[in-house]
Order: sequence, then structure tokens, then C-alpha cells
Amino acid sequence: MTSSTSSRNRRRMLKTAAATCALVASTLGAQATEELNALVWCDHTDPELILPFEEKFDVRVNLKEYEGTGTAMAIVEQSQPGDWDVFVIDGVDVPRAIDADLLAPLPKDQLPTGDLFPALVMPENHSRDGEVYAISEKFGYNTISFNKSKVDPEDMKDMTVLWSDKYKGKIAVYDYYLPVMGMVAAGLGKTTADLTADDLPEIKETLFKIKDNAKLVGEVVSSQTAIATGEVDILVGGGEWVTAGLAADNPDLDWILPEQGAMRWSQSIGVFKDSEKKDLATEFVKYILSPDAQAKLATSSCYWAMPANAKAGEKMTDQQKTALRWDDQEAYIANSQLYPAPSAELDAQMQDAWTEFLQH
Amino acid sequence: MKRFSGRSIASVLYALAIYGFIFLPVVVLVLFSFQDGRFPIPPFKGFSLRWYEAVLADRRLMEALTNSLVVAILSSAMSVLLGFLAAYGIARFMLPAKGLQRGLLTAPLTVSYLIIGMGLLITFNWLGIPKSLLAAGIGHVVINMPLCFAIIYSQMGDHQANIERAARDLGAREWQVMTLITAPMLWPALFASFFLSMTFSWDEFIISFLLTRFDVTLPVEIWNLLRSGLNPKTNAVGSLVFGISVVLLLVLELVVFRKAKRS
Amino acid sequence: MTARARQTSHDLKPWGFVAPALLWTLCFFVAPFLVMAAMSLWERVGTDLVASWSFVNYAKFFERGHYLEAMLNSLEVTVIVTVTSILLAYPFAWILAEKVPARWQRLALVLAILPFWTSYVVRSYSWLLVLANNGVINQVLLAMGIVDDPLSLANSRSATVIGFVHFFVMLLTLTIYANLVQLPPNYRKAAQDLGANGLQTFWHVILPLTLPGIMVGAFLTFVLCIGDYITPQILGGNQELLMPQVIMLQIGRRADFPTASALAILLMVVVTIAYLGFARWIRLERA
Repeated sequence: MTSSTSSRNRRRMLKTAAATCALVASTLGAQATEELNALVWCDHTDPELILPFEEKFDVRVNLKEYEGTGTAMAIVEQSQPGDWDVFVIDGVDVPRAIDADLLAPLPKDQLPTGDLFPALVMPENHSRDGEVYAISEKFGYNTISFNKSKVDPEDMKDMTVLWSDKYKGKIAVYDYYLPVMGMVAAGLGKTTADLTADDLPEIKETLFKIKDNAKLVGEVVSSQTAIATGEVDILVGGGEWVTAGLAADNPDLDWILPEQGAMRWSQSIGVFKDSEKKDLATEFVKYILSPDAQAKLATSSCYWAMPANAKAGEKMTDQQKTALRWDDQEAYIANSQLYPAPSAELDAQMQDAWTEFLQH
Repeated sequence: MKRFSGRSIASVLYALAIYGFIFLPVVVLVLFSFQDGRFPIPPFKGFSLRWYEAVLADRRLMEALTNSLVVAILSSAMSVLLGFLAAYGIARFMLPAKGLQRGLLTAPLTVSYLIIGMGLLITFNWLGIPKSLLAAGIGHVVINMPLCFAIIYSQMGDHQANIERAARDLGAREWQVMTLITAPMLWPALFASFFLSMTFSWDEFIISFLLTRFDVTLPVEIWNLLRSGLNPKTNAVGSLVFGISVVLLLVLELVVFRKAKRS
Repeated sequence: MTARARQTSHDLKPWGFVAPALLWTLCFFVAPFLVMAAMSLWERVGTDLVASWSFVNYAKFFERGHYLEAMLNSLEVTVIVTVTSILLAYPFAWILAEKVPARWQRLALVLAILPFWTSYVVRSYSWLLVLANNGVINQVLLAMGIVDDPLSLANSRSATVIGFVHFFVMLLTLTIYANLVQLPPNYRKAAQDLGANGLQTFWHVILPLTLPGIMVGAFLTFVLCIGDYITPQILGGNQELLMPQVIMLQIGRRADFPTASALAILLMVVVTIAYLGFARWIRLERA
């Protein structure tokens, strides 16, 4: 292409540009109302949850769902400052987000902190230098789900059965490295908060034994399909979030915390520091923490789990509360540890170990 | 006229077996979209339309469907336009390094969508261009234009060139030749490449997955739906897409078939 | 070609036709590829991307067994899929082209590729339902007494292969059929007049004539299959990882673009080698 061709091409280029513009214009569409961009787990996407807020504030909430803090951080990294307003993130990773200077302080006096289950306040995670950066909204367990018509529930009380070969070929593993590696660590008698690179070889070895017993390692749908269809009878890393929603259709699906304990996960919600709509974002946080929204969030179509706000109980049916084991929570909280929250370096090593585990 | 030899029977059986294999997942998909229960697997518990209601009430799915249509139509139009112009230029004029040009234009055909999508993702990221449907549309043109070019180019034969020359001799200008002579003669190829592009864009996942954010295409939204667990809603949306596509296909078939007959 | 091309190289008009497509390809295909190639020489350190300009990511591929293994898995699966699909599709296309009465051929062909229009993501998912332990196949086998215990079909390499073959049988049927119906009928007649029997005609006349079509289809299958993420991700049960899955792990879980880029480029190298292998059959021009 010589320089003089450019003039000849101009018309063609204009045409190209016009077509491109048409593509832009039509895809942007006419969206007059204000928008709020939220980075969330998939349980926030039910219209029943979002619509009341949208109607009240005449705003459109754009939701981007992700799985795993690494993914969320990757998404944030690929965005421009100000792209995001609301952040739903694992409670244990809030310090990481504060370190990365992603979150804005929340107005303490407007949050229903007093209504939360006490263990979910987690000031060591959510607060720094007197400011609160996030608040818990939902929590649950990564533990063992199983089919009680096929598996002896007594066996499930001891986590080591997973790496003996008693249920060889009948096990599925949830494909998320943090909780499963945390569970294995707990099963080996380690404390997840103190994990170091030195613990990895033993964890990896145990993971490989589990892999030898496992029929599959899958995301939510493959693992759910597998346990619902009888392909496997045990789901490592499962919990109420897999089975509670399915219990109505298959009452044999159950879940348990083994004696060695389980992983407790919690989601926190906060506002991005670079958000240009912090007030509206804060309103969204307050809305999600309200008992009504909490009840909907707890029983979302994506997954069920305990609401962080204890007052949500008034808005839920007994059946829902039973499926979530509302009354057992005190004991469960006592017998569970938080997810591991590794440093970036350890995190990379853990992910490598996980990739090897998948390939094992 | 027909003799039913052993070989014919074997042929029929073989064809039926392949048809069975090809249709098995579709039949299962559609059947269990009517499942009256949470699990889209046997036993079939009864007939229900509630999963279809759920799909139609799902704003995100419906928006994704619209987005997919817009991206498919616009990116295909762009692909056909660029592909046609390039094919015309290369087939009808003396240009240096034609082989190289053809090679360059068709090179994306030999590269996995994943790699094309990743390249665009990293580049747009680096330039600070946010993810959007437009970005996905650009990616779709990258994958579909080579196809359109190849199809149209392969149909540009001497036959049309002679008629074009005749038109030029009668004083037609280049753009007149192209729009009034070449394009109509190439109508089947243009249509085929547009239709193929539409299909590929409509169904494309990985590029859209990497390059979109809030406004996503249907395959990406279905993927999100899948990740939220086992749910006959996925069957319902799959069946709907299939149904709509088949109706569209039949309409096109009839229209094009009729047209071909008339001319 | 040259004979009928007009002698207009002195003016620049022809470039006006070709330039938009060329520019598009340069901007959105070649340039991104170069950016990715550059990115593969960077390094992810903690949460930062560092321009270290080293081959450390490539070294990782050869040092760590599981990356190399993913490549081998990908190659194995792709070869199995390509060969199986051709073997299944060729006779089918043959039957459609030769045995089905002319007036029904179009319908038969459309039927053969109709499931292509179910959404691609959904197709893999429906195979998961078909192959599941109490899925349709197992229910039928159990009911017919062919097996006593359900076969373990889902979540394995076999499931991935079945999902792939389903798609590519449709694709290859189409390309091979197109090739078969283009064969001039008098070739076959000539062969028969010369005393060749059916098999000989097929082996010495039909097959060589359709080989280019098969090869184009095979190469298309190879490229699409080796780069596919969804099918192994949904059907494979993570029993093993294929390259696209490993690449997506790097992007999705830790934004490690340098490693992902290096792996993508290695994958591309493999595809290019395959292309060279297929190249003698793949020509856009007809002779």
C-alpha cells in the first residue's frame, strides 16, 4: 500500500467507519437511566432481588458475575478506574482488596452491623484504621455433600474417608482450589490461616489421592449433574449451596460437616474507591443487607446459603430455614475455619498445584 | 426401478444410525425442557411449560438474545462486504503479491478462535479499550471475513468476468459493474457467506466470552446460566434457540428455493 | 486468472477494493498477534506484569510436566476426533449423495446438519444429560438388559470425544457431500466401462477425487477441535486438561496473560505444523 492509495481508499474507509459506527450505536441502545456496575457472584442475578432496587432508585444495575477472587481481580485489572461501583468479594479476600486500594470506606452508622451473626462481623477483615470497607452479606460452607441413600452418613463424619479408597470412583470434587485445598488442610490437622508453602507438598499428595478416587472435578453444573444423577455419591467442596436448592427434588441429597471441620466462606459487599456513584452504590449495599433482600439472596436460584443478617430469618419460611440448618449455625460456625487467604506468591503456587491436581 | 439389495438395506440402517446419533442430544434437550421438576434427566415427571416461562421472563437472557442477533447481523454484513470487495479486487485486477494477499486474508481460518480472542483481549486491554459488544463484533468479523472472502472468491469465474467486460464495453462504470452485474450474479455465494457468518457469529462463544462485559451474547449468557447449576431452563433456552433457527432456516430455504426456481 | 484480469495495475483503484479487508486483517488479526507474541515474553510477578523480555514462560511449558501433558492430550483427542469423524461422515455423505433419490437429497442433507443450530454451549450440555449415569443411554441399555450397571460415560475423555465427533460429523458430512456431488458422473462411467468394479472405482477414482475435500474438512476439524474450550470443559469432568483449558485457567483465574500468550503461541505452532502437513491439499484456487 503506497501513500497515494490512501486518498483512493478514503471513501471505502468512510464506509467502513460508518458501518462500525452503526454497530456501536445499535449496541449501545437507548439507556437513559443511570447505571450501577456491580461485580458479583451469580447469586445476585435474580430479577426478584435486583428489580425492587432498580425501581426504587430508577437505576439499571449491570451485573457481571465471576467465580473466585482471582477472576474478580483479573476483571478489575482489565478495566478502567471508575468502571465499577459495587464489589462482592470473599470475606477473607477483603484485606487484599483494601491493600490494592480498591475499596472506599462505608458509612458505619448506616450499616446494620448489629443485626449480623456475630462471627460474620469480621472486623479484622473488614476494617482498617477505624474505617469499615466492606460488610458480610452471605455465608456458608464448603464441606461434603452426599447421597444418603448410597453412602453411610457415619462415614462422612471423618474426612479421611475421602482419601481412603472406600468410595473410589464415587467422588466428585468442586473445581475451586481455595476451599478444597483448605478442606484438605483442615483434614490434615492444619490451620488454614497459617498455611505456608511448606504445607503444600502434603496437601498436594493428599489431593492426588483424592483425584485417584474421583470420578470428576467439575464446576457447579457438572458436579451437580453428577451427584443428582447418581454418577457420584459424594461431592467434596459441596455444601448447602449445592444441595439445599435440590433437596425438594431429591430428599436423599444431604450435607455434613466432618469432625475435622470444614471451610466457612463468606461474601462481603463493598463500594469501589474509584466509583463515581458512591452514594448510589452505598444505597445498594444497604439494600442488599436489608432483611427482605437478604432472604432473597439466601435462596437465590444460583445457590442457597445463610444470610449474614440474622433478621432475614423473619422473612424466610421454616422449610427454607431447615434446608439451610438455621438452628445448627452456632455449632457449625464453631467447627469451621475460614478459607485460606494466601499471599500472591503462595496463591500462584496453590494454583499450580491445582492445575497439576486436575492433570493428575 | 429400485432393488432392495443387502447393500441398500445396510445403507439405510447406517444412515438411520447416524441420524439417530445426530439427533439424540437434540431430542433429549427438547424433551426435558418440558420436565416438571428440577432435574432435566429421566424419569420424565410430567409436562410443564414453566421453564419456558422462566426463560421468557429472564431479562438478561432476552437481552442477550437481542445482542446476539444484532452482533450476528452487523458483523456478517461487514464480513460479506469486506470479503466481497477483496474478492472482486483480487479476481478482477492486476495486483502485486496476490498470493500473499490471499494468504493474509484467509490466515485467520487456520487460527483457533481462542487465540484470536486472546490477541484482541490483550491488545484492547493494552490500548485501554473497554470490553463491549463492539469488541466482540470486531472479533466476529475477523473470523468470518476470511470465510466470506474464500466462498465469494471461489465463485468468481470467467463466466461473470465476460459479462462484466461486456458491461464495461457498453460504458458501465466500475461501481455499476460491481453492484449491478457482479453482485447479482454472485447472489448465491453472497447469501451463502452471509448466512454462514450469521450462524457462526450467533453460535460463537469464546471470543464473546473474552471480549464482552455486561452486554453479553446469548452463548455467554447460557454459559452463565449453566454455571449456576442444573436447571431445565437451560434446556428450554436451547430448545427455543433451536426452534427459532429451524423456522428461520425453513423460511430462508423456501424463499431462496422459490427464487432459484423462478430465475 | 492473469489472462482475464484487466491491465489496470497502473491505477490504484484495485487497492480500494482490497484495502479495507487487508487493513481489517492487519489491525485486528496481525497486530493483536504481535502484541500477544510480545506479551509472551513478559512475566507475571505477583500482581504485576513485568516486561522482562525473557523466554521464561516458554521454559515453563517444557519444565512443568502438566503443560506438556495438556498439549499431548489435546493432540491425541484432536487426532482421534478427526479420524473418527471422517470415518463416520464419509459413508454417510456417500449414502446421501448416491442412494437418496435426488428430490429428497436436499431435505436429507438439511436434516443431517439441523442440530448444528442448537446453541453450541447447549449441545455439550445436552450430551452431559444423555451420557449421565441415569441419562437416556444408560436407561435404555439397562432396560434392554444389555448392561447391569450403568456405564460410566459422562465426565471422561470419551465424553469429550463423543461431543466433538457429534459436531464434526455434521460439518464433514456437509463438506464431503459437497465434494461428492461435484464429481462428474462420466468419470465413474468411464471407470466402469474400463472394467473396474464398485470397489475399484471407489478406490482409484472417487476417493482420490474427493481427497482434497476430505483434507479441507479434516484440517477445519483439527483447527476447531484443538482450540475448543467448551466441549472438554463441560464433558471432560477435568479428568485431564486440554490446552485451551490450561490457557483459560491462566486468563480467568489469575490474569496471567504472559503465560497464557506463550501457551497460545505454542498451540498455534502446532496448528501451523499441521497446516503444513495438510497444505498440499488445501488450495483456495481450483488448479
